[in-house]
Amino acid sequence: MVPAQELTVRPARRSRRRAGRISAGWITSFCLPAFALYGLFLVVPLVTAFYYGLFRWDGTQQGEFVGIGNYREILTRYPLSDEIPAALGHNVLFFVGTMAIQNTIGLGLALLLHRNPWGKRLFQTLFSLPYLISPLIVGYIWSLLLSPTFGPINFALRAVGLDAWARPWLGEPDLALPVLILVNAWQWIGGPMLIFGAALAGIPQELEEAAAMDGASPTRTFWSIRFPLLIPAVGVITVLTFIGCFNIFDLVYALGGSDGGPGGAMDVLGLLYYRTAFRGGSNAIGESSALAMLIFVLIFGVSLALERTLRRREVH
Amino acid sequence: MPRRFGAIGVVATLAVTLAACAPGDSGDGGGDAVNLKVWGWRQEDVAAYKKIFQIYEKAHPGVTVEYVPYKNTEYDTILKTGLTDANGPDVAQLRSYGLLQPLVGSGSLVPLDDQVDKLSGFPKPILDGAKGDKDGHVYGVPFAIQTLHVIYNKKIFADNGIDAPTTWADMIAGFDKLSKAGVTPLANTVTDKWMLPIEQEIFGATTYGGPDYLTKMLNGSAKFTDAPWVKSLETWKSTQKYWPAQASGVSYTDAQALFTSGRAAMFPGGVWELAGFKKANPQLDLGIFNAPPAPGASVDKTLVPGYVDGSFGVSAKSRHRDAALDLVRWMATKEFGTALSNELQQISPVPGVEPQDELLAQALKGYQANPSPYVTYAYFSGGTPTAWDLASEAFSDYVLDRSNAADAAAHIQRGVDQWFRPKN
Repeated sequence: MVPAQELTVRPARRSRRRAGRISAGWITSFCLPAFALYGLFLVVPLVTAFYYGLFRWDGTQQGEFVGIGNYREILTRYPLSDEIPAALGHNVLFFVGTMAIQNTIGLGLALLLHRNPWGKRLFQTLFSLPYLISPLIVGYIWSLLLSPTFGPINFALRAVGLDAWARPWLGEPDLALPVLILVNAWQWIGGPMLIFGAALAGIPQELEEAAAMDGASPTRTFWSIRFPLLIPAVGVITVLTFIGCFNIFDLVYALGGSDGGPGGAMDVLGLLYYRTAFRGGSNAIGESSALAMLIFVLIFGVSLALERTLRRREVH
Repeated sequence: MPRRFGAIGVVATLAVTLAACAPGDSGDGGGDAVNLKVWGWRQEDVAAYKKIFQIYEKAHPGVTVEYVPYKNTEYDTILKTGLTDANGPDVAQLRSYGLLQPLVGSGSLVPLDDQVDKLSGFPKPILDGAKGDKDGHVYGVPFAIQTLHVIYNKKIFADNGIDAPTTWADMIAGFDKLSKAGVTPLANTVTDKWMLPIEQEIFGATTYGGPDYLTKMLNGSAKFTDAPWVKSLETWKSTQKYWPAQASGVSYTDAQALFTSGRAAMFPGGVWELAGFKKANPQLDLGIFNAPPAPGASVDKTLVPGYVDGSFGVSAKSRHRDAALDLVRWMATKEFGTALSNELQQISPVPGVEPQDELLAQALKGYQANPSPYVTYAYFSGGTPTAWDLASEAFSDYVLDRSNAADAAAHIQRGVDQWFRPKN
């Protein structure tokens, strides 16, 4: 007698093998365009930048091999030697500020909308709408709104008697970076709101009901039930915010020009790269490639570390 | 299997991309007809250049000249690549001074000293803008001079009983009168830092002494940190109370709008602003003057700062080098200079060419009589960091009261000392 097991297993194996063969072909053909684009536009430029950064350049003419010479040059030459740490500091502040303001408010909005208020869809759309506008346009519009001479914001403040509040928003070194954080948050607040919203919707209702039956206050429910289950979303948002904040260029350029606003108060690594590459003299290609590699290593390394740390904290 | 697929895919994609990027055969390699491509950064000037080059085409049958403009801000990068290829330009509009050096360094341009005889008739300060720093050869025929002035609204001046000043005291008295009348005297920008060194030259040139001081700086006997230059910053900043309210937040475009809307009486800036101002407000009656010698000035004449805006050079890779050289030889003649001056409303550096426009003629006359250099942009921009970048940063801190004049000068000197070697 043939065991029943064998009868059932054989066809299953065959079909699995067939399925495997088909899917390998399909997977390849689906992945191919993405891999080709990824290779062409990410890997190739990255390798090229690394390679270029090892040489001296005279305009577009490749000169002698200098090894880490370009790296040493950008880290020691005045005023770049001062500007790199300053710009890095601004990126860090920008990231911290964005986490504190944009993502906290985004979570707040997600919690409010989670209660299914009237017009939930409308608000979701409204908050996410600035997403559709290019950061350059957002920057130029806000610089017009905030202009001390023609801007409606200062005009409105003066109209209601708050003359002392009508500041040159983008012209004061102490105000420029906070203004940048707020304008950036205005544009991207829809992102954390939607991600947190989806994560909240995924929390089983029984857990919240059980907590409520045990007499937990809404605050307690939030910190003990919801927040731990939102950690994966927090992780995703933190990594995305980090990458966004360290790659920022367009919005700062529109708000403060390529020099990073008053007294360089908004100078970030992206602007520094732009200035090194496009206003950098003879060896611009070598030095800007070296700077680009430093920025890449920093962003890649920290993103990886952030992802690892946050994944360890996840609750399943 | 998937890996091989992947490899084939990448190769195929690359092949397609490369094929798409491969330069096409322009087809004008042989025969008598020559099409010269002139690259430039002035998209707004295409029609004018077409008219100008028609004059040349008429006199040179078989040669057509085409002006190919690229976006101003991307031009330098595009040109660097274009000059490495025979399908690039035959003749190219070149930036001046320091920005020209990378192209000279890469051997992309033909030296013109022995090729264009008329260059010997150009004044030396003009040719400085088109020279290679290291070899001293001239690589382009200069096509425009920019001068820096205080541009004023004649109607506001007349309404307040003010004339273009002839002494510093007159000028300040005029500023005070305007302030009292509720008009912003000077539409200065602080936010757009690149304008700050321009403002400093306009008000501070007489304090440090202009060309004489430059000579000393170039031979190493004077520095940015020496008293005359440091004081020139203070002279410029002494006009700060006449700048717009909350000037630290006023951008370049805000400042332009303040002036063209009649809310400010003057705009310190380049002669290139005139065309834009007239376009923005055709009712504006414009005048120009230069700041008279300030108290304690090193010179007793009113200096007019100016510099070479750019030049036309020949690509070393051009397939039509002889025809291209003929074209740039023509660009050094009065015929081209006059056509450019009339069509583009620019000051031509070709000796003997008089602009038709009254204000341009006044600007040129002033510059020829008492020329002054734009030191940070023109003469200390051949290395990295450029004095112009350093000055923009330092002046921003200085006018925001985050540093004093001596600190600002020290910042520039420290940066420049890393590469500048005086020539004796």
